[in-house]
Amino acid sequence: MSGSEMSRGRRHLETTRKMKDMLPRFFMRMLERRFNNEPLAWCMVGVPPELLKAFDLLFEWPENFGTMCASRLVAPKFIEVANNDGYSSELCSYVTNTMGYCKLFRERGEAPPESPLPGGMGTPSFLLGSGFICEPRWKWFQSVATRFFNVPVYSSDPLAPPWDTDPHDPRIEDHYLTLLREDLAGQIEFLEQQTGKKLDLDLLREILTLSHKALAYWRDTLALRRTVPTPMGSTDYFHAIIPQMYLVGDQEAVDFYREMYEEVRDRVDRGIGIVDEEKHRLIWFGLPPWFNMGIFNYLESLGAVFAYESTYNVGDYFEVDLSDPLEALVRRTWQRAIKMHDYGAEAMPELCNPAVFGGFAGSNLLNELIADYSLNGAVMHLTRSCRAVSFGEVHTKNRLAKQGVPSLIFESDMTDPRLWSDAQIKNRLQAFLETLDRNKGGRLYEE
Amino acid sequence: MKNSADPGRYIRKVKMDGQENISALKNKAKKPVIGYLCCFAPPELISAAGAIPYRISGKAGDDNSAADAYLEPYGCSYVRNIMARAAKGEYKGLDGLVISHSCDMVQRLYGIWTYYHPFPYSYLFNVPHQTTPWARRFFKRELHFFRESLEEFTGCRVSDDRLKEEIYLYNTNRQLVRDIYQIRSDDPDRAKGSEILEILLAGGNLPADSFKKLLNEKKVLFAGRSTARTKKKRILVWGSLIDDPVLFKMIENSGGSVVADDTCIGFRTWENDLPITADPYEGLTDHYFINFLCPRTDRGPGLQKYDYLLERIKKYQVDGVVGYCISFCDPHKFDYPDLRDLLKEKEIPMLLIDDNYSFEPAEAIQTRLQAFLEMI
Repeated sequence: MSGSEMSRGRRHLETTRKMKDMLPRFFMRMLERRFNNEPLAWCMVGVPPELLKAFDLLFEWPENFGTMCASRLVAPKFIEVANNDGYSSELCSYVTNTMGYCKLFRERGEAPPESPLPGGMGTPSFLLGSGFICEPRWKWFQSVATRFFNVPVYSSDPLAPPWDTDPHDPRIEDHYLTLLREDLAGQIEFLEQQTGKKLDLDLLREILTLSHKALAYWRDTLALRRTVPTPMGSTDYFHAIIPQMYLVGDQEAVDFYREMYEEVRDRVDRGIGIVDEEKHRLIWFGLPPWFNMGIFNYLESLGAVFAYESTYNVGDYFEVDLSDPLEALVRRTWQRAIKMHDYGAEAMPELCNPAVFGGFAGSNLLNELIADYSLNGAVMHLTRSCRAVSFGEVHTKNRLAKQGVPSLIFESDMTDPRLWSDAQIKNRLQAFLETLDRNKGGRLYEE
Repeated sequence: MKNSADPGRYIRKVKMDGQENISALKNKAKKPVIGYLCCFAPPELISAAGAIPYRISGKAGDDNSAADAYLEPYGCSYVRNIMARAAKGEYKGLDGLVISHSCDMVQRLYGIWTYYHPFPYSYLFNVPHQTTPWARRFFKRELHFFRESLEEFTGCRVSDDRLKEEIYLYNTNRQLVRDIYQIRSDDPDRAKGSEILEILLAGGNLPADSFKKLLNEKKVLFAGRSTARTKKKRILVWGSLIDDPVLFKMIENSGGSVVADDTCIGFRTWENDLPITADPYEGLTDHYFINFLCPRTDRGPGLQKYDYLLERIKKYQVDGVVGYCISFCDPHKFDYPDLRDLLKEKEIPMLLIDDNYSFEPAEAIQTRLQAFLEMI
């Protein structure tokens, strides 16, 4: 966009730069299959991508579509259409982006020309929602199916125990695991009905094996960011989540994450960071501004790098016995939720996530992260239209303050660039970094 | 119209100071008082366990800045208002806190509130969003966990018979509320919507038997009122939680009558009796989960989920619908476009009031209501 203050993020890794070739190949394969009228599922994060693969389904992720519309600066048009249709600007902008897209799609009978993917998101055959993280995610598909595409919907409903309940109590565990198991069975029954296929458990096990292999590389790569200087940045991080959604369970994904691990390992061995002089090592909270990923490069130009991002983090706890692949999915979900719960979930949304990423940093985890990643500050993106992720940032700020770690909360949105105030935000970020410079109590400056 | 459009005037008239009220209840009943928010954790269970359920409410239009130390500015203004009250110590007299996981914001409120201001007893009553058979089973198990936690706190065992006694009492109150609703429907000047809401709000802060007494008194009062039977536009109010009569008064001052609603402290709570079942937890599950029509529960795609509302509109001869959405109230804001279009198709006028739980600017709201009532 000519004259825009927004800039694309510059990636530091060769592997993540290569995604520019890899993903279009994948999307073209999907498009070819769409032309053959294969059933297409629209899905929410929270749906295990391994299940989609096991049913050999075509799928779209409207949330991720929102990030692409944001980065190409076409989201405002779709959002405006939805706002004019009565969907409040307070609602999640991933949602309003989709609703505007759907309205234009229905009016034109095809994807609007601005759509970022080739052919946009196609006509769904059914919708697979999820209650993980927030209620807008199932309300969203309820509305899509009511208003635009009269297709069947299944929304999974994984609940997690409240922060002050002991999830290790066998009765509590059974209470929640029973719901998770029965909900997964319902989801599979729905998929079997829609596709006319029976779930092949052996195939699912193979897919899970590959998926976890890829995720293990991803997890180990992230752990390498403990190194000073940090070998990869947030632009790499946020782009590298995409293969987890679209290619999980493929050998291609395993190869991608292995290559990335090897590249990052090599950078660590050679002491290569992403900036010449690493002055500040930060933690990022919240969704990124997808329309202006260049903000991370801007901070890097001031010597500030993020060594950890709380959002989309796979964490380090998904090793499960795959002999019973359905139980493995349930246990993976529970194990990760409980790990986060144990770290303090008082300000958390729903934690039970049957998918492969979506982490948050529990308040007690902060101590470990600050020490392990040598962090001296935190930046939190308060997204006006996403309360699920940004609610709790004030609490996190309070917790960090107790440990003497300064933090900054700035406001904007993940999809809608109209909520970005470039000069103001950059001024605030700069001033924050100056505060860090003066904060000799920060860990980086300890003698 | 300046005075009648001043929401503060109404609010001050109606609201009692929460703290005093809690203390008065405790001193009188010599029982623990447990605050609760949202409608999924049955107050019948709290009563059966020997405690007094006390409905938590906000103070519309109050300064919410005390919440800033705990909560982000972009969040439900109602939740921020409650948190501000909590931060100012207005609820510290409570012995316990029960919040049902109705919407995301309320779930987050529970964690933050109890982290910074713990109570001797607190419980987040978890509620699924789907109404599948397994969600139903989860809810029923959750009821038992809730009962156990109450028993442990109060030391009072909740037998099925004891619980049924409370259900009978609460059902008596439901019937009395419906009787009053009927008096209003027959002649809205006899029992104004705002008056009824005030009674229901008071009932949320009273033991069930005291509320029964109040309802009986008011029923007699309303039934005996002579009125001029003026012809006014009959309004149904749909939307987010309303715990202040100011909006209803504005509608009344604009020449309308609130004859029905679709809100939490209204028809959603009082329209149906809780079914008496051999296993009382079956009835509680049906009433408080399956049949409780808050849009936070998924009723599936399609417009048939509003059939109940169209029936209500017909039954109460409604001329128009006023929607009320508190800012950042996702469940209602998602439903609004579909409901608006459905009502338009049925030729039922609708006006949406978007508010940050302040009913301000009052003049503007009043003007919009007046124009709407004139239009219909």
